[in-house]
Amino acid sequence: MKKLQVLLLAVLSVLVLAACSGNAAGKDGKTVKVGVTGTDGQVWDIVVKLAKEEGIDVELVEFQDYTLPNQALANGEIDLNSFQHIAFLSEFTKQGGLDLVPIGATVIAPMGVYSEKYENIADIPDGSKIAIPDDPSNQARALRLLETAGLIELADDFGLFGDPSKITSNPKNLDIYAIVAQQTPRVLPDVAASVINNGVAGQAGFDTANDPIYLEDANDESVRPYINVFAARAEDAANETYLKLVEIYHHKDVIAAVKEDTNGGSLVVDLTQDEILQAYKELGE
Amino acid sequence: MQVDWQTFWPRIVEATGETIFMVIATLILGSILGISIGLLLFVTRKGNILENQLVSMLLNLLINFIRPIPFIIFLVAISPLTRALIGTTIGTWAAVFPMTIAASFGIARVVENNLISIDPGVIEAAKAMGASPFQIIFTVLIPEALGPLILGLTFITVSLIDFSAMAGTVGGGGLGHVAMTYGYQRFDGSVMIVTVVLLILLVQLAQWLGNTLSRKFLRR
Repeated sequence: MKKLQVLLLAVLSVLVLAACSGNAAGKDGKTVKVGVTGTDGQVWDIVVKLAKEEGIDVELVEFQDYTLPNQALANGEIDLNSFQHIAFLSEFTKQGGLDLVPIGATVIAPMGVYSEKYENIADIPDGSKIAIPDDPSNQARALRLLETAGLIELADDFGLFGDPSKITSNPKNLDIYAIVAQQTPRVLPDVAASVINNGVAGQAGFDTANDPIYLEDANDESVRPYINVFAARAEDAANETYLKLVEIYHHKDVIAAVKEDTNGGSLVVDLTQDEILQAYKELGE
Repeated sequence: MQVDWQTFWPRIVEATGETIFMVIATLILGSILGISIGLLLFVTRKGNILENQLVSMLLNLLINFIRPIPFIIFLVAISPLTRALIGTTIGTWAAVFPMTIAASFGIARVVENNLISIDPGVIEAAKAMGASPFQIIFTVLIPEALGPLILGLTFITVSLIDFSAMAGTVGGGGLGHVAMTYGYQRFDGSVMIVTVVLLILLVQLAQWLGNTLSRKFLRR
């Protein structure tokens, strides 16, 4: 008797599974596989739900590292990916010779200047110490932020990985210390200000939206390389389904979810495909 | 991404200077502290000239408490004390302080070990002649142990060069930091080779100095 039950169950589950796969196959033309590196939070759930209402089936493919999502995209195993900023994509495609392009903006996690002593970045006195992260990408981004804040000026060939030797003007004679990123919040009592990247600041317990005395402006051109994007194979740059998905990402429900998931730390960025593509091309030069 | 060697050499020279400064400052301060603790450890041992089980136990406990902590963690853990004493936790001096503390406990053990190897007969003879514990320390223990002690300090110096690499991460600078930020993080092999070669040269120099000095002081 028991054996019969097991058999019945087995047959039933096979039938159900077959039905499921049959269903997916039926809409194969509209299933978009999106490579991501984390699906915690509610943002992707909302994107998937909103896409469904528009008749687009989104399948999220989760990756554990930052190399495979681009390779899988280039190989056609996924249709889009969304995990990286323009600068990363640019470096990756340059080194790997892949033909990928950004087709739309997603979010930015702005880097901030934090201080225990000054409320206004202009109040930082002459000869102050400033701590910045020491890894190449964040170090350059931090220096760029200090430039935008009017504290220093950088050489024309500064690029994405410039270091303090490329400072051309330092009217306040600031002493810039490049230290391990995780130390930047810890040394706040010892410096006038620290430039702390969004993730580290969040982990150190800061309110990344309100605590910084100066924050990257998502609309500033110098920040464009750090805007996260949907990437696609170059031949799909005009694919209407994919562009529709980019549009869905800018739905008010998604914007609210991003804000809630990151405590206001990340913001959805509104830029046209052309603007994103132009920023990407400038980096490639 | 790669460094431009035409402009990078001054950086290397500066970093070498920082490493040498950190190591020498730590060695001097750490030796003063470490030799004192080591002597205290030895003389308070059971059956020794100033036997004191409580002091001995507490010192041993402290040393065994500090020494196993990975230096990079120790560096961060001790930072409130560094800030209170040095006034800051970034810069070369802020690196020297935790290095000194960590080094002195290592040196204390080396000193203790060297003293234990002294023939107890020599100490007994001094005692029989009516020497005070103070006199024994300065006329018997230190001179007897000086040769091996210099070799022990040389050994410590080599690990200090390693410590200084980590201390660089808190803004102390030095060759280790250059190797990490310009070599390792930027995938620039040339920087790694140059810094490693310089570090090896420093170690060779330290070992040669130590060997030469110890030969002068070894009582053989």
